[in-house]
Amino acid sequence: MIGITRVRTIGVVILSGMLAAAAPGYAESPSLADRVIEHKLANGMTVLMVERHQAPIVSINMTFGVGGVNEQVGLTGLAHLYEHMAFKGTRTVGTRDYEREQAVLDELTTVGNELDRRERDEAARAQMEGKSHVASQEVQQLQRRFKELQDKAGEFVVGNEMALLYQRHGGVGLNASTGKDITRYVISLPANRLPLWAALESDRMAHPVLREFYKERGVVMEERRLRTDDSPNGLLYETFTSTAFQAHQYGVPTIGWGSDIMALTPAATEAFFKTYYGPNNATVAIVGDIQPKEVIALIEQTFGKIPAAPPIPALVTEEPPQRGERRVEIEFDAEPALAIGYHKPTIGHPDDFVFDVIDEVLTEGVTSRLYSTLVRDKRLAASVLSDTNYPGVRAPNLFVIAATPLAPHTTAEVESAIYEELERLKTEPISAKEFERVLNGLDADLVRSLRSNSGLASQLAFYQTVAGTWRYVLNARARIAAVTPADVQRVAAQYLTKPNRTVGVLVKKAPDKKLAAVGEVAR
Amino acid sequence: MRRLMCELEKGKVMRQAARWMSCPVFVLVFLVQASLVMAGDLALDNPRAMRFPTVEFNPPDAERLVLDNGMVVYLLEDHELPLVTINATLKTGSWLDPADKVGLAGMTGAAMRTGGSATMSPDEVDEELEQLAATISIGFGKESGSASLDVLKKDLRRGLQIFADLLRRPAFEQSRVELAKLQALEGIRRRQDSPGSIVGREFAKLLYGPTHPSARETSVRSIESITREDLVAFHQQTVHPNGIILGVTGDFDKAGMLALLREAFGDWSKGVVPAVTIPAVAASEFKTGLVRFVNKDTSQTHLRVGHLTVKETHPDYVAVAIANDILGGSSFRSRLFNDVRTKRGLAYSVGSGLRASVYDEGVWLMRAETKLSSTQEVVNRFVANMERMRNEPVTDAELEEAKEAYVNSFVFSFTSASSIVARLMDLEYDGLPKDWLQQIRDKVVKLTKDDIQRAAKTHFNPDRLRILAVGSGDALSKVLASFGEVKEITLAPES
Repeated sequence: MIGITRVRTIGVVILSGMLAAAAPGYAESPSLADRVIEHKLANGMTVLMVERHQAPIVSINMTFGVGGVNEQVGLTGLAHLYEHMAFKGTRTVGTRDYEREQAVLDELTTVGNELDRRERDEAARAQMEGKSHVASQEVQQLQRRFKELQDKAGEFVVGNEMALLYQRHGGVGLNASTGKDITRYVISLPANRLPLWAALESDRMAHPVLREFYKERGVVMEERRLRTDDSPNGLLYETFTSTAFQAHQYGVPTIGWGSDIMALTPAATEAFFKTYYGPNNATVAIVGDIQPKEVIALIEQTFGKIPAAPPIPALVTEEPPQRGERRVEIEFDAEPALAIGYHKPTIGHPDDFVFDVIDEVLTEGVTSRLYSTLVRDKRLAASVLSDTNYPGVRAPNLFVIAATPLAPHTTAEVESAIYEELERLKTEPISAKEFERVLNGLDADLVRSLRSNSGLASQLAFYQTVAGTWRYVLNARARIAAVTPADVQRVAAQYLTKPNRTVGVLVKKAPDKKLAAVGEVAR
Repeated sequence: MRRLMCELEKGKVMRQAARWMSCPVFVLVFLVQASLVMAGDLALDNPRAMRFPTVEFNPPDAERLVLDNGMVVYLLEDHELPLVTINATLKTGSWLDPADKVGLAGMTGAAMRTGGSATMSPDEVDEELEQLAATISIGFGKESGSASLDVLKKDLRRGLQIFADLLRRPAFEQSRVELAKLQALEGIRRRQDSPGSIVGREFAKLLYGPTHPSARETSVRSIESITREDLVAFHQQTVHPNGIILGVTGDFDKAGMLALLREAFGDWSKGVVPAVTIPAVAASEFKTGLVRFVNKDTSQTHLRVGHLTVKETHPDYVAVAIANDILGGSSFRSRLFNDVRTKRGLAYSVGSGLRASVYDEGVWLMRAETKLSSTQEVVNRFVANMERMRNEPVTDAELEEAKEAYVNSFVFSFTSASSIVARLMDLEYDGLPKDWLQQIRDKVVKLTKDDIQRAAKTHFNPDRLRILAVGSGDALSKVLASFGEVKEITLAPES
């Protein structure tokens, strides 16, 4: 019913998903190791391929190692805004006459920057003086000039042409997503249309044009309202996450703070693209009815021409150890909810594999400890789930447990029932049967994950990007199988402690009169 | 309900049967090679000029059998992975709910899965399934019920026994019935939390009327009145082998599977299966325009603008579907997306939808979420774009793009054995011919600009538009005043 929705992979629904379900390897599917064909271009781009000839279709997942963690203060939301801008075309696609268009865009940017600055200044001054903001003559004149230029630029635009070309050629599932660690561009096509993909994507890796920039900023603001400002869960997780991470970029919402989004500029966006979108920061996974040799030739012929970019800047900020419980409330006209997070190491660390087991034992399925206790037996909660790698995996992250109380029970009752179960993890070893269930479930998930071209492409590109190799999945199952009941007790005792936790509570609040509308200028 | 509209709405376009298609694997290899040759340096520099032959594919055909008790079975083997999936469509549904027990069908489906069977307690069912990493789900919708088993090949026999047991002899253990009721009540308590949930449900009521099976909702009273005996009776009255279509796909051999199915279902006797009948909407309920709002403390207005429309079997359906595709059904390619999102930057999610079934009047609507200050402009753009569809023919390019997108994405209808079988089950359940999708495809390819305009003129009706806005109430009544007399819908508290 809606058009395409570009999802950001931040955790509103944080049920395991890719990580918990897929982390442990394809050990039971011995053929996968042989079926993945790797190719690395001289410019550093990585290509992963799996042949599946059941139907004449192909799924492509292009993943860049860039996301919210790469943003600076004052420029939050930039990674996501660039992802939107990447659909605006290139010097050849999306335009009627690039040369003439560029001249107009340059002038538009100059006026737009000036207008942004003056409007912010005037709004700030009006606020200081306690007056309502009325644009000065000067600003009004800039606004008129801006509108003229924007209309003029619009005359050169062929709207959404890249998407149109994909759709005409039978493409389905065209989408993109921005997360903390990675940004992904996906499409499925009839198998013989792969050259169209290579032509379009290599063009946008080399020559994107940031047309319709100011309008897209407005679109992203609407996305923020939809996903966060008007969403009880969206707001709960934004606040919860920024409370848990006070230094590290994981605490910043991927969609960006509203005031930052409205201050983003074409220049900053262009610089971000140049820094992070080189072929050396890209992995493409292609799964379906393909002939790998031909695919390699095609990719060399297209992406191979693009020079490598300088290595991306290192991330230096580390989250200091948490020394004391942090609690935060979010008031909303909605029924209550609860999120509890514990700092922990990320993938690759020995203790992370123990958390995979804890995650499954606590919330996977209706026989899991938290579901059977809180939902089925005590009837304190309507739902409970957990995520062992929130909100990303490139840096130490959180083990999160989230629950909604079943009225008339309260979040406080649910919270203490959860702590009882966490204490049990520390004092009683998990049973052999529980452990067997975990491994059976992981093995079956891995077989099932091979059912879908797009799912497999997604996993391969994901681990290649965040773990440095898609083979991570081959090794993880063995690491999980080696976890002992004593490991679970030790890890629970070490990490699931009060000083290490952050608790976010959604508190019901009756609706009140409308707050003043956000000070946004619609363009 | 499913076919044409779902895929159009996603911008994907339609599925189709493919008797006319030719030989599979080696043809494909040839086509891929041919395309690479065509896409030499020159073409790779100019994506606009790229041309490819339509992918031809002869997907495997499922076998159809009928057991002695009337259960229809589709079988399609697929040996790539050691998994078996069994899907069942059941002739039941919430259209059968008594007016004072709305929610009965939904709760029956849920408790069939959770309430144990004649031979196993609820806990035993859950423990064993999870130990086997097998999944059984059962759910009853408006016009049908569905049940599925997803199991590793090595556990097929045991999985099928449990699956058949739950379908045939559910125990509806009292504690699990109570739990299902509590969960349903919590769902009611939470359903006004988000504006997106409110706007969808209230718009259905605005179009069909609040007591119609396509719009009515559970209430605290209706859920509380449902007893275990009600669930037992609803199951006994509506779940019969001759009302079930089974689709079996995966890693099995036919003879062995048939023996297992006969063992599981063979001695289940026929019952009386009702034909799905959904009452027509009273003419007065939907022939006129209306403007309504719901006050919710939000920064965005959630908009739905539309009216009831044709059934899937109406002669104009395909033309209406393509008109809707061009107007707002095809995401990036559509007029509403380009106008409201790309050119004006007023919404993240915007488009139109056509939802039709063979049983019931369908819904055609335009939708968006936008900040309060641009609400009026977005509704104006809805109306203007609708009028343009009525008053001018679409362009040659738009019609060509819609047809190409449809024909070229057609192959995605056959991505797996389970999707092939699911389609056949759907068509048979709805009483449509096996080549229904081929018929639709033939109609799409033949559509002219006149056909599209005629469909838009007849079926996008400005006098019947019903406008619903959920958002900041005080301001909304003023913003919407230019579209007619504005009235508020007051939501009863749910908790």
